[in-house]
Amino acid sequence: MAPFRAKKLDLGCFVNVMTMRDHTKRKVFAENEVERQALRYITRNTTLPQRVRAQAQLQLTQMNCYTRYTQIKNRCVMGGKGRGVLKDFRMSRFQFRINALRANLPGVKKANW
Amino acid sequence: MAVPRGRILDLAKVQCRIFNTTFNPDGLRTGNKILRQRLKGASIADYYPRRGPTTRDLARLYPGLETYNDYEEERFEHIQITKSRGKGSPPKKREPNQFKKK
Repeated sequence: MAPFRAKKLDLGCFVNVMTMRDHTKRKVFAENEVERQALRYITRNTTLPQRVRAQAQLQLTQMNCYTRYTQIKNRCVMGGKGRGVLKDFRMSRFQFRINALRANLPGVKKANW
Repeated sequence: MAVPRGRILDLAKVQCRIFNTTFNPDGLRTGNKILRQRLKGASIADYYPRRGPTTRDLARLYPGLETYNDYEEERFEHIQITKSRGKGSPPKKREPNQFKKK
């Protein structure tokens, strides 16, 4: 069912099916990145023979969808939410607010003027 | 005064040699921009914090080690309270040859 998922869970944050899936996708992407870039280079290189380029394109399309960067989504580390996630803090907006008000985030201060 | 194309190409060649870039006067698509991209896999795979060692792992590794488990302590306390009130779980039935009779 889950061909890429690690046998033992290695997540230290909020665990959810979504975060687990995203985590495995990230790892699979990192593993296959070099191969993908090489194939992408071959397909984009117009000086190579057309046949080679077409083959590379075919191989790219036949790779698993987990190896694609577009599959990866930044999710909230504290609550697993996929929307309104602040990239710098890896948290959704509400978790960010809670943690900032509790002074868990160094340097973050409530605006006041 | 128009500069001949040959001289401009020579200039471009020298420029490429000096700045260590590929000489491509016709603007062919060689896909070099993909080779120029940095590999981002490592930083992307590091997004979620990894699981660190816990007291439970320690207890499992060293069976004789005394560790404190908040959840377990609370559970034992709760069981003791219910037992003292006479609300504990009932004693197990003792019927030795239960399955053989059937």
